[in-house]
Amino acid sequence: MSPDGTIRTEHLWKRFRADRQRMLLRDRVEQMGRRLRGGGPEDWSWALRDIDLHIEPGDAVGLIGSNGSGKSTLLKLLTRVMYPYAGTVDVRGRIGALIEIRAGIHPDLTGRENIYLFGALLGLKRREVAARFDAIVEFAQLNTAIDRQVKFYSSGMQMRLGFAVAAYLEPEVLLVDEVLAVGDAVFQQKCLDRMREVLEQGTTLVFVSHDLAAVESVCSRGIWLEQGTVRVDAGIREALGAYRESIEAKTEASARVGEPVQLLKCEVRGTERDSPATGEGLVVDLVLGGDHRNPAMLHLGVSEGTASPVFSLRHEITTKDGEARVRCVIPRLPLPRGRYTLWVGAYGMWHIEGQSLMAWHPAGQFEVYGPELDPPPRAVVLAAPVYVEHEWS
Amino acid sequence: MALPAQSPTVSVVPDIEYGPPPELRFRRRLRLRRTAAELWAARELVRALAERDLRARYKQAVLGFAWAVMTPLLLMVVFTLVFNKAVKIDTSPTPYALFTYVGLITWQFFSNTMNQGALSLSANLSLLNKVYCPREVFPLATMLVAAVDMLIALGVMGVLFAVFWFPPAGTFYLALPLLLIQIAFTYGVALVLSVSVVYLRDIRHLLPIITQMGVFATPVAYPLDKIPHRLQEVYVGFNPLAAVIEGYRKAVLYGEYPDMRLSLIAAGGALVVLVGGYVFFKKLETGIADVA
Repeated sequence: MSPDGTIRTEHLWKRFRADRQRMLLRDRVEQMGRRLRGGGPEDWSWALRDIDLHIEPGDAVGLIGSNGSGKSTLLKLLTRVMYPYAGTVDVRGRIGALIEIRAGIHPDLTGRENIYLFGALLGLKRREVAARFDAIVEFAQLNTAIDRQVKFYSSGMQMRLGFAVAAYLEPEVLLVDEVLAVGDAVFQQKCLDRMREVLEQGTTLVFVSHDLAAVESVCSRGIWLEQGTVRVDAGIREALGAYRESIEAKTEASARVGEPVQLLKCEVRGTERDSPATGEGLVVDLVLGGDHRNPAMLHLGVSEGTASPVFSLRHEITTKDGEARVRCVIPRLPLPRGRYTLWVGAYGMWHIEGQSLMAWHPAGQFEVYGPELDPPPRAVVLAAPVYVEHEWS
Repeated sequence: MALPAQSPTVSVVPDIEYGPPPELRFRRRLRLRRTAAELWAARELVRALAERDLRARYKQAVLGFAWAVMTPLLLMVVFTLVFNKAVKIDTSPTPYALFTYVGLITWQFFSNTMNQGALSLSANLSLLNKVYCPREVFPLATMLVAAVDMLIALGVMGVLFAVFWFPPAGTFYLALPLLLIQIAFTYGVALVLSVSVVYLRDIRHLLPIITQMGVFATPVAYPLDKIPHRLQEVYVGFNPLAAVIEGYRKAVLYGEYPDMRLSLIAAGGALVVLVGGYVFFKKLETGIADVA
């Protein structure tokens, strides 16, 4: 008997119809006719293939992968909304899905009445909702609007209302599917805070999001799904690293031609040795060409994965003789150990100020050797990957 | 990096043969105790859903709950004019208005549950796609709403007894077991229809037709005697409401015992519809999120 909060799937398969199918009698009759005549086979596509997962109580798992990789389907199977084609799903304990349930809102009822309805839908008893009522209203920032009919709410208020009830479930397993796409920045932060709070209490978390930074900030384990199979199941940094690499491989593949400034060569190395290391010097050598003959502003950036750059630098260049050689030296590299992407772009100056001469794009990757960052406390936003020299006493 | 050896391009296999071994196939198993426990645990949800519908209706309509009173009353007036005055159906010593009102209450309960219940899942599809709960609570909640309407209509019946100066018979308590038949049959039909509408949207166009035909196919306006005697058993087997309405009249209006044989046949028919409907519902329930 596994303890509450355990998630286990064995040989989990799920398929969907690939052919467009309407829920009409006419189509069914046609389909029956085709089957009777022994016509072509039905068209199915697999959404999940042989997924074996074992998640221990208290784990914080981030599910990552491109669109259509099966993340949401897996989550639906875990919530028991959907049933598998084959295999078993076993989730122990109360499941709470942090989802936006605007669907159930009845516009003629007041916010208060809807909160009780949601509570019931999510499996809360009436007095459990009553006990959390103030916290829910607080979370949804509704205050006095709570006794107004929901049809007079703004769409943001409606969204927060549905979400707040789900946030105050106290489940053993919390499933979160891409909720941060909705709501303003303040509310997103609130949601993340709430997720961390729940994690502190030892709840199992499965978090689906395309916001990789958010996933990294709350999860300790990463599962990368690709085309319905588990591609990588490892620590979050490792899984995200592998995933980002595959994204980069796809982005780099699109070659850029016909731009006025061309990047001919790009080389990154350390000052003292070939590979750069934390706290040591870094040299970036660039050779630029192209038809542009006037001064241009060269931008250089370094990022971890496809996220926003850790830092960016710029420098004025002129490709007078059809070629410009630029060297940038960073004497003490503030990056911890890891894999980084170098970004390059060139933009016009003066009368063509800001015009793109060479679009901002990843030019290459490099590894940095050195110490690893100290891990932050559990369930705390991961700091930007900057190595800060420090001393303890 | 823990990249598995398998290349992503291999996995694009449109072949239907490629799949899990058959012994791993998911099969829906129905465990009575577990489903019953689950339904019991969801009782607050049933209440909340019914409350939502009632509150919403109360807020929307100017007359609110008055509609629950008006509908059977107006139908009663129409039926009295048509069947009592024009067609001259004799129900003495009972006033025809009371006679048909008993049938109308029962029929309203059935048709409200059927019409609302049939759409109860498809109207909440986006919710069913996100939240897990035993799905049979949705048709159950609509039946609860219909039950509230029925209670109001029963209150009106008390007034009618006074108006016609016709006291209910002392055997009225015999109506209670018949109520179980009525509920079982009605819920069974609602279960079948609700899940069918999810898969076949056009079934809902059938609903008005069933409602219109049903009110005449059931002895609402006329006594069961109008059906040839040898056909009555088959008739109530397929339409248990016929025996239920007839039994109500006997118990409440005529002071007689409901026909035991017909009642048992009706109970059997209702039980088949309920159990069959429940199994049908539970089997098809697994695919709701796939087609939603």
